[in-house]
Amino acid sequence: MSMEIEILLKMLVFPGGLTLIALGLLYEYIDRKLMARFQNRIGPRFLQPLADAVKLLAKEEVVPQGVIPIFFVSLPILALAGALTAGLYVPMAGFAPAFSLPGDLIIVIFLLGLLTLSIGLAGANTADRFSILGATRTLTQLFSYEAPFLLALLCPAILADTWQIDMVHQSVLGRVWLALPLFIGFFVAVIGLMGKLELAPFDAPEAESEIVAGALTEYSGRGLALFRLGKNVELVVGLTLIAAFYLGGLANPLEFLLKTLGLLVVVAALQALFARLRIDQTVGMWWRIGALLALAQLLIVVILKGVIL
Amino acid sequence: MPGLQKEKFIVPIGPQHPALKEPAHFEFTVDGETVTSASVRFGYVHRGIEKGTENRNWAQAMYLLERICGICSHVHSTTFALGVEKLAKVPAPPRAQAIRQILLELERIHSHMLWVGVAAHEAGFETLFMYSWRDRETVMDILETFSGNRVNYSANVLGGVKYDLGPAQTDSIKRGLDYLEERLHYYMKIVNSDESFLRRTRGVGMMTTAQAEELGAIGPTARASNVARDLRVDSPYLLYEQFPVTIVLGSTGDLQTRFVVRIQELFESIRVIRELVNHIPGGDLTVRFPRRIPEGEVVMRTEAPRGGLFYFIKSGGGENPVRVKVRTPSLRNFMSVLVGSVGHQLADVPMILSGIDPCFSCNDRMIVVRREPGKETAS
Repeated sequence: MSMEIEILLKMLVFPGGLTLIALGLLYEYIDRKLMARFQNRIGPRFLQPLADAVKLLAKEEVVPQGVIPIFFVSLPILALAGALTAGLYVPMAGFAPAFSLPGDLIIVIFLLGLLTLSIGLAGANTADRFSILGATRTLTQLFSYEAPFLLALLCPAILADTWQIDMVHQSVLGRVWLALPLFIGFFVAVIGLMGKLELAPFDAPEAESEIVAGALTEYSGRGLALFRLGKNVELVVGLTLIAAFYLGGLANPLEFLLKTLGLLVVVAALQALFARLRIDQTVGMWWRIGALLALAQLLIVVILKGVIL
Repeated sequence: MPGLQKEKFIVPIGPQHPALKEPAHFEFTVDGETVTSASVRFGYVHRGIEKGTENRNWAQAMYLLERICGICSHVHSTTFALGVEKLAKVPAPPRAQAIRQILLELERIHSHMLWVGVAAHEAGFETLFMYSWRDRETVMDILETFSGNRVNYSANVLGGVKYDLGPAQTDSIKRGLDYLEERLHYYMKIVNSDESFLRRTRGVGMMTTAQAEELGAIGPTARASNVARDLRVDSPYLLYEQFPVTIVLGSTGDLQTRFVVRIQELFESIRVIRELVNHIPGGDLTVRFPRRIPEGEVVMRTEAPRGGLFYFIKSGGGENPVRVKVRTPSLRNFMSVLVGSVGHQLADVPMILSGIDPCFSCNDRMIVVRREPGKETAS
């Protein structure tokens, strides 16, 4: 019995569930605040992301005409569930992952992709033209960054000789930061995470000056809140994963906060620096530069490993 | 689904759309992401200002016309005042003309800086948007020290101006312009060197000189396509003969050139304002102006920030104008958007649209109610 309760607690309170959502809201606040300060704005108040989420959750959800209602309602839940589940397999707050099994790196990458897939399907499900265009762009973008992102995360895994996140994490703990020798892989991973979260400059799928809110144009109320929470959670999980692999591991909660927040500062600065890329430019950039860089990094890792070990 | 393939996919933009700050309706037919045709409808903010002037006396009409545009308000009232003064053969004193010209150029600075921000926003470059609007506050503050107002300064009266250029204004202009000049050099550097921004502006919305001539483009949009057309030079008004501006021309006619041309124009404006402030003629601010204007017609043209502004004023010898006809510059530039966006990516369309610095509400002359396709009724 106590075993079940323990699992339930792990899933709902820590490290999953509430903790992830709270961290997600905190990180959204920090990201927005940093962006605002970089852009010479005041930025949101501390509780703004929470207030947004509560307000949206309390509002009526309008199911528009021309959609398949079951998909319309369930896709946001699936998206958030995917992101939350992914959080159970990463060393959240510097503690060992809640669950760990061989090959869970692939599971996490799939679960993180589930959010994007849900957003794409949600857009394609509605009859709105902006949504359909946004969905097309979301899915197009998914195909461009997913492979390089996966390759970039594989490099540390190959070095550690295991595809189990916890094992990779243990192997890099206390060692020199992998981001230094494998800076290409680190770079591709960070940019890939920004692409995954559709942050500027990769925000063509939700470019407000062209297609309003992209795939989520028709969403209001609960659905929108769940999608946004899902994105926030994915931001935390992605940052944790990259920090655990490339920034010398997360030995304790303090290290977790420092490293992921440091990474968040970099991500926010990158968002403020660039103009939005057109979708063709995004795809071109990923396949011409991103994929090649990731492949080169993988090759270097494989060769070095063969030579040294 | 072979039938579906043939179907046209139309992306409607407007009348309510986040990309548009004013209502207008665009229909872009797209093939994937590529635009294959475009059309536009106006008339959502028709306010009946032209007709409204006929029920007002000359002075009241001027204040009404100032409200045609919220950005270039002073140029409207100045054009009308100049036209009426020409009809009455009572020119404003030189000092008043100089102050009008200073305000016109200040207005150009605030209009162009606003545009830099809007265009950057359309490109998803929020940082440049925020920075340029922050610095634009400088010129808004200068305008406020002049008249107490940031937008509709109502600085003109028929036969002169209300506000004098005192030491406080001179001081704020000199300090403000020094700061702005420095910032504009910075923006010039950004639009010429920021790689991610150049990818969105270089070669986008290209308009050759021949096309610009054919489509009747005016203002900075035309000048970026190497069409030397600037009413401040072609038919000088106010003190533009004593304090001339140089036409700024671009050669390529893409969006990047329009950025460069507009920012270059601001350097010209700053230079002219400085000269005017340093050598402002003395004398009165106003002359006595008649209530009734002699019968006659006049055409007055000035260079608004967006291009040539055209006023036709007809007087029947009474206290009210008989007819006032306004042709605002945006109207002549819209064709270049419709032609220019074909073949481009949908993502570039907001950029191309904002590239002409459009002002929708000043275009609206009538409302067309569309009852059924192909059958339109004017009301």
